[in-house]
Amino acid sequence: MPFSFIDIEEKKTRLLGCLFFFVIFFYFLTAYLVLLILRNAFGPRDGFFWPSGMSVLAAFGIALFVALLHWATSTSHLIEKLSLSIGAMELDAKDFYHKGLQNIIDEVGVAVGGRRITGMVIPSVSLNAFALEDFQGRAVIGVTEGLLTRLNRSQLEAVVGHEAGHIVSGDCVTTTVTCALAELYDELFSRLKAGMQRSRGRGSVLILALFLIIFFMRFLSTLLRYFISRQKEYRADAVSVRLTRNPLSLAEALSLISTNWRGGGASGERLESIFIVNPNFSRLDEKQGVFSDVFSTHPPIAERIRILTDMAHVDTKTLEEHLKNDTWVSPVAQAEFTQADGGPSAWRVFADQEWKGPFGLEELQASGLLTPETWVKPEGSEKVAHAYEDETLLSVLSPQATEKKTKEEFACPHCRTALGELYYEGVPLQKCSHCDGVFAPSHKISRILIRKDKTFDPEIVRMAEATIRERDRRVDGFYKQKPVNAWVLDCPQCGRKMRRQFFVYSYPVEIDRCVYCEGIWFDRQELEILQYIYENKEHFFDDSSF
Amino acid sequence: MVVILIVLLALVVLLLGWFFFAYNSLVRLKIRVDNAWSQIDVQLKRRHDLIPNLVESVKGYMAYEKDTLERVIKARTQAIDASGIKDKAQAENFLSQTLRSLFAVVERYPDLKANQNVLSLQEELTSTENKISFARQYYNDEVGRYNTLIEVVPTNIVAGAAGFAKRDFFEIEDKTQREAPKVQL
Repeated sequence: MPFSFIDIEEKKTRLLGCLFFFVIFFYFLTAYLVLLILRNAFGPRDGFFWPSGMSVLAAFGIALFVALLHWATSTSHLIEKLSLSIGAMELDAKDFYHKGLQNIIDEVGVAVGGRRITGMVIPSVSLNAFALEDFQGRAVIGVTEGLLTRLNRSQLEAVVGHEAGHIVSGDCVTTTVTCALAELYDELFSRLKAGMQRSRGRGSVLILALFLIIFFMRFLSTLLRYFISRQKEYRADAVSVRLTRNPLSLAEALSLISTNWRGGGASGERLESIFIVNPNFSRLDEKQGVFSDVFSTHPPIAERIRILTDMAHVDTKTLEEHLKNDTWVSPVAQAEFTQADGGPSAWRVFADQEWKGPFGLEELQASGLLTPETWVKPEGSEKVAHAYEDETLLSVLSPQATEKKTKEEFACPHCRTALGELYYEGVPLQKCSHCDGVFAPSHKISRILIRKDKTFDPEIVRMAEATIRERDRRVDGFYKQKPVNAWVLDCPQCGRKMRRQFFVYSYPVEIDRCVYCEGIWFDRQELEILQYIYENKEHFFDDSSF
Repeated sequence: MVVILIVLLALVVLLLGWFFFAYNSLVRLKIRVDNAWSQIDVQLKRRHDLIPNLVESVKGYMAYEKDTLERVIKARTQAIDASGIKDKAQAENFLSQTLRSLFAVVERYPDLKANQNVLSLQEELTSTENKISFARQYYNDEVGRYNTLIEVVPTNIVAGAAGFAKRDFFEIEDKTQREAPKVQL
């Protein structure tokens, strides 16, 4: 039984040894070729020379040195580098969807015999998933934000199971290292390309020579990638089924992923082999035969789905029908995220010889008025008590709670009161309870725009339509027109002035954006209007206006 | 004579080697089974810890459902007190069933369904429930391998001589119980 992580270690080192040997061979070949060319171009001009034993040895030494250097640079901070280049971010512990993902990953970790796996997420609408692992056995499973939104729990579990299959069967670490090795060429290649365009002098000859060498290496590194067989995807599917005992969910997930955008172009060019399906759709992937077996990183999805549906005794047609009628909605969509308990939600506070407030819970915490001895009075009642006697307030008074809160103490740019926490489609945001404005860092906005949990009031719909109509009407001078008082509000996060501008010109909702920390302040309803326009963009942009 | 002696000696060494090998692999598997069992234990403990929280946060809303809540609490106490694999399995099964009925009741209260606290607790419990079943699956797989090795010829001789006993599976009667209290809210 090879698929429990305890058995893997030996096999792993063997594979990595192979890989390292391959890299050395690589550089030796290059060095030898360069040597050959140099000898014949600049050496004595009588006939063709083969390099002597000594110089071959020197070439080997250089190759070994360069290979070691390359290996060391590309394998240090492996996971950080690769996740940066595919744009993956760490999970937000407070976000409802992200919490669910981490739970699912932990479950699968238990299923493979107790293993800690970190979750990551790519803020993109595309549907895809990936796995990474480094030498220390640190493992990461990541999915796109789109996948989190579109897949139900068991489908997500099947996908995570597939990724865990890569990790557990030991092919993940080879893939990760191979990707990291190839990534270096990509970086050099693009830098040199930029350098070529800048310099026109004598230096460009040298750059051209380097360029050619690297081009050649890059071609070889593409071959190196095919060292990774497409067979491993089938195997990972099998592990997923063995873990979750649910082939149908994996088939559903694959079918959904294959019929939607997989994120082509968004990720690094050479990194497709770490994903569940190839982000760049390629015809080669969908073919069978010896040639595509060697030169393709992923097997045909149709074949993968067929195998899975056969296991579940369902035919592919039924699966497609079923997916069409699937009306799954996430639990977040139906929860209103109201105040958690039935207790009071606002208090008046006796301070400086007068009753102040009413304040919400977060405002009280941030105001600094609250001590255990403070006299408080729940809003709507006349019962006066010490703060420590009130159960809700007591929970807030504990030292950890106050410590944590003071760190992210944001003030509303309009009302100057402390912002409270609001869950919007499972994303924690800062909200002012007086003017209903919302502050959100830009990476959270992409999450909100991707998720489709919220239903909109008719008022929001009307205002969104009015916004678009207005844009269409004054379309001539529209792009030149600047909103008045462009810099008014202070950023709640960093305190600098925010710029009042359109979100983007095609979504002409006026927002305040902080140019330093990229936080955005939405006045009342602006976020909802923006989201409504985004989610109904097919409706608004069906004509030539987009 | 010498040749026969050498052959005999070689045979004895080989036999001894094989004996050690078989013994060691039995020990290794046994430790893995123990490890797998402790994983189930961790998850079960986690569920026991979560239940009082859940009961606390739904109590206010469900004045008329005292029975259900009391049954959950009682099942939890029983499950904590149970010892031995068979008893534990039974008590935990019962706890799962009562939890399922509790979530069915929660369905009928729209206020509760929209409560963020209940929602996250429910997510936690569903996840723990899945973890329990995954841990059980892993445990049963390991027990299966261990028991097989004890029963097959020739390792059964070693197992009998060294006193390796077969382990019980962590079984459930109800096949549909995996992901049991997963409510579509």
